Amino acid sequence: MTERIGVYVCHCGTNIAGIVDVAGVSKWAGEALAGRGVVIARDYKFMCSSLGQELIQKDIKEQKLTRVVVAACSPHLHEPTFRNACKGAGLNPYLCELVSIREQDSWVHTDKVAATAKAKAIISGGVERVIHDEELEPLRVPIHPDTLVVGGGIAGIQAALEIADAGFHVYLVEREPSIGGHMAQFDKTFPTLDCSACILTPKMVQVGNHPNITLLTWSEVTKVDGFIGNFDVSIKKKARYIKEADCTGCGICWEKCPKKVVDEVFEAGLGKRKAIYVPFPQAVPKYPVIDDVNCTYYIKGTCKACEKFCPTNAIDFNQKDEEINVKVGNIILATGYDLFDATRIPQYGYKRLANVYTNLEFERLSNAAGPTGGNIVLRDGKTVPQAVGIVHCVGSRDQNYNPYCSSICCMQSLKFAHLVHERTGAEVYNFYIDMRTPSKGYEEFYQRLLEEGTHFVRGKVAEVTNVARVPAEEGKLIIQVEDTLIGKQRRIPVDMVILSAGLQARHDAKEVAKLFGIACSYDNWFIERHPKLDPVATMTEGIYIAGAAQGPKDIPASVVQGAAAAARVLGKIQQKEVSLEPIRATVNQDMCSGCRICNNLCPFNAILFHEDKMVSEVNPALCQGCGTCVAACPAGAISGTGFSNEQILSQIDGLLLLNIPHQPAPVAQ
Amino acid sequence: MVTELSFSQEVTNLMYASHGEPITHCLQCGTCSGTCPAAEFMDHTPRALIGMIRADLKDEVLASNTYWSCASCFYCNVRCPAGIDIAEMMYALKRYSMWKGQSREGLIGPDFSEAFVKMIVNSGRSFEPLLAATYLPKFSASDIIQEGLTATGLVLKGKMPLLPKKIKGLKNFQRMVRRIIPIGEPE
Amino acid sequence: MKKYAYYPGCSLESLAKSYHLSAIAVANEFGLELNEIKDWNCCGSTAYFPVDELLAYTLVSRNLALAEKMGASDFVAPCSACYKNAYFTNTYLQSDQDLADHINYALEEDNLHVNGSLKVRHLIELFIEDVKLEEVAKKATHPLKGLRVAPYYGCQLVRPRKAKEDVENPRYFENLLAAIGAEPIEYANKTRCCGGSLIITNRRAALDMVQILLQDAVDHGAEVIATTCPMCDVNLEVYQEQVNREFGTHYSVPVMYFTQLMGLALGIDPAKLGVGKNELASLQAKAAAPQAETK
Repeated sequence: MTERIGVYVCHCGTNIAGIVDVAGVSKWAGEALAGRGVVIARDYKFMCSSLGQELIQKDIKEQKLTRVVVAACSPHLHEPTFRNACKGAGLNPYLCELVSIREQDSWVHTDKVAATAKAKAIISGGVERVIHDEELEPLRVPIHPDTLVVGGGIAGIQAALEIADAGFHVYLVEREPSIGGHMAQFDKTFPTLDCSACILTPKMVQVGNHPNITLLTWSEVTKVDGFIGNFDVSIKKKARYIKEADCTGCGICWEKCPKKVVDEVFEAGLGKRKAIYVPFPQAVPKYPVIDDVNCTYYIKGTCKACEKFCPTNAIDFNQKDEEINVKVGNIILATGYDLFDATRIPQYGYKRLANVYTNLEFERLSNAAGPTGGNIVLRDGKTVPQAVGIVHCVGSRDQNYNPYCSSICCMQSLKFAHLVHERTGAEVYNFYIDMRTPSKGYEEFYQRLLEEGTHFVRGKVAEVTNVARVPAEEGKLIIQVEDTLIGKQRRIPVDMVILSAGLQARHDAKEVAKLFGIACSYDNWFIERHPKLDPVATMTEGIYIAGAAQGPKDIPASVVQGAAAAARVLGKIQQKEVSLEPIRATVNQDMCSGCRICNNLCPFNAILFHEDKMVSEVNPALCQGCGTCVAACPAGAISGTGFSNEQILSQIDGLLLLNIPHQPAPVAQ
Repeated sequence: MVTELSFSQEVTNLMYASHGEPITHCLQCGTCSGTCPAAEFMDHTPRALIGMIRADLKDEVLASNTYWSCASCFYCNVRCPAGIDIAEMMYALKRYSMWKGQSREGLIGPDFSEAFVKMIVNSGRSFEPLLAATYLPKFSASDIIQEGLTATGLVLKGKMPLLPKKIKGLKNFQRMVRRIIPIGEPE
Repeated sequence: MKKYAYYPGCSLESLAKSYHLSAIAVANEFGLELNEIKDWNCCGSTAYFPVDELLAYTLVSRNLALAEKMGASDFVAPCSACYKNAYFTNTYLQSDQDLADHINYALEEDNLHVNGSLKVRHLIELFIEDVKLEEVAKKATHPLKGLRVAPYYGCQLVRPRKAKEDVENPRYFENLLAAIGAEPIEYANKTRCCGGSLIITNRRAALDMVQILLQDAVDHGAEVIATTCPMCDVNLEVYQEQVNREFGTHYSVPVMYFTQLMGLALGIDPAKLGVGKNELASLQAKAAAPQAETK
């Protein structure tokens, strides 16, 4: 039985019609492909418009079409449009093929004759394929109303609060003992110079008290199974050695603890904490944690001062890690960033020359709750610097390290300049390549710094050295740079150097991505579904990303993304069930030899292996239809609905115009 | 159809083997000039020179002493955030300048390089005293005396060659050179 | 005995004769056979590239071809400029067929062909990678008793970058000096350029660069500066007087090739290393006396 196929060739204004003879192609399709089942062929200026779609729908009804081929733009853009149109006219949407004669033809060729011939071939391919298309129904899966938010920084906190306030339950998992993330370390935030902790802690407290949020700090996700609406997540709640039910957060334990440890995480190595500690006084939750690597009890078996003094008997040295399993419908990853390691640039002297600081170190220096009580002093703890150099673009915009711009360092460097002016009256020099101040109030902040008398030197610092050449440089740190605006090499002596180190993806971003079944970019940031139009969704349904984990950004942008991800999740929860594309791979279990090549190749972890039957099976909800396993299976046991061998091979036959008598091969002379 | 190459393209074309990042990638950040140990002796810093090349200021660029003051220490190369082969670009400018015979008056570099290559084509090995003729005339009187003293000291220590050497396969060597560029006496 | 194709370079015949002598003497002690390439030609240092790029690579390639003809697997150059030229010519030959074809077309005239099959090494690498520092330390029967030596890497030994090595703060020269009993000093400018051929073409610039190096070495207590390249050695040693005139300084720092220092530590007769009687006495005096006056 021959199908009844309608062919529709779009002009796309002049995008296609300017190069391809669309009327001619349409006429040709109606004549040459009639033998293959084409009963009607039309061309139209804008197929995707409502009038264009109505054309198709009218023909489906009147011509009793059983298949539709539209030759227009890329399926990435309008496949859903035309499928919906067909559905509206009562034709199964998966019996409609959209072939690209724009991105794959008119937009990449200038030879009109060759492009027209190519368009004919492409359409013929589409016609041959559509003959083998089958009616398919999308899968419908229910959505569990609980949500997992991974990462308790500002983005994660925002997302969790929005979902919880809407009445749904959230598990907020955070790796550190307290939520707050990097924002909790900062002193002031640009451009308003709000105290960071003052604007963050109210939100943290809300999270801590919220009836709809289960806060799991000092915890990590270890396993994720399932698919959108139905994730099974295993969380390891590391032992705090504190019985949370009994602890009041009074603080006697850390007061009495005799063991001091350099705090590499929160204090950025500038200050110390105890072996039993909360990372900062406003920590949420208020329960401390025992660092079992440095605690005297775990090393030698002695001390136990905390246990002795605890008024509620809340210390439990034998506490074990707990494994918690939860079911959630959606997951938001807001795992934040790591700082670029400035020792990778030895010529800047970090860790070699004492008074060279990174941005995070300086935030702690300047913070009133920090190790120097907010006094900006040198490493000796008392000398106030008289000249400070602030270096932009450390490890960013540099092919030798990270090629991208870290987005916040210019504003951060201006902020530092302001704080140094305010607290010390020192001369401040900012060394920059470009001044990036794009958002609201940012350029005005730059103006403010100009007024304050900051010396701006446009030049990327070549080196920071302590080798003096003239008496004025003795005992100083000398910044050697070309002042590009005057075209001269300058050596500027300062007392303190602050390196605005760039932002990087977390060191374990790749592993985390694999755990959740999403992908990382070349620089290890999590990849969004579309960089312009869909920055919080990922290619995996049900997993969203928010905040710096998706790319360097400031606090307002992180908050926005957290809220956006929350909105997406709430939308899904409201729908109660979601429908998934039926373009999936399936394993023919009779042909499967159990070699397991496909299991590890699947970028979405969608293929399970049944040990008992020694065969693999594709989970249709996780499968995104990428086709990797189909290609890899040595037995050819995997085929894809929507891209079966027959469909692909017949499309190739069509491209070569094999079934059409007396057609020249579509090759340019 | 013949299109005129811009000066910037001509310079890039002269950097054949190194395939260095084309100078269009330059951010004008100034790292090269901040690093360059000879920058204070150049009338334009390396970064400024790249800017001038991109602005097609050919005559100003060729008249600059910058590229003839490059010691080819490659420090700029390893630090450049755009990965540009700046030292090679300086060589390219030297080659351009030699090709067009256009450079600032009084520089020693052009004559020295030309004499050096000619000397090698004639013998296959270098011989310092021969080269002195290219630069001594441009030195100040006191510098000439200084150089004379230095040279004498070296001769006394047995460190200065007094006679030039020639390689054995010189004829083949010269034919080899002529397959690249036509210099040296034809057979 | 491990065999190497040895490319001395023009300076080692005259200006840097002591480098050549000490290199051979020390290599022999470790069983490294340095076989001089027959009829090699000048590599051009920094003088060919200003004239013609293809010619420059061809002139270097002739030496690589001669070494390949010898059946050698390693091409060793003691001079950093020769090393850098040979290394990168070899690398480009391996990856750029078009360049290789042009060059081989010229080399035909001398019945030569270059394949790019060699490993190009600087002399100092042999002692660090092939001999290994434990062996060096064992053979150093006359360790230098804490003589404070400034390891001067210079630029073309370290740069351009070849792989992912540390170009800002390499440590291998310090390690080698420690293995022979010297005390390597820490100073920031150890890879800063000595001026190279600018000593001819822009003397003021070169003298300034030499002065900065000498001052830095002396400020950090150097009693001797050890070099790995004849150009650097000449600039630092022979032109010290001119630097003093130009800047009103009073430097008198001995400058020696690293192979000379190694030879002394191995107990080789100083005359065989090109170390003069005066130099030797001055070295011994420095090792015994407290730190000399700096400015």
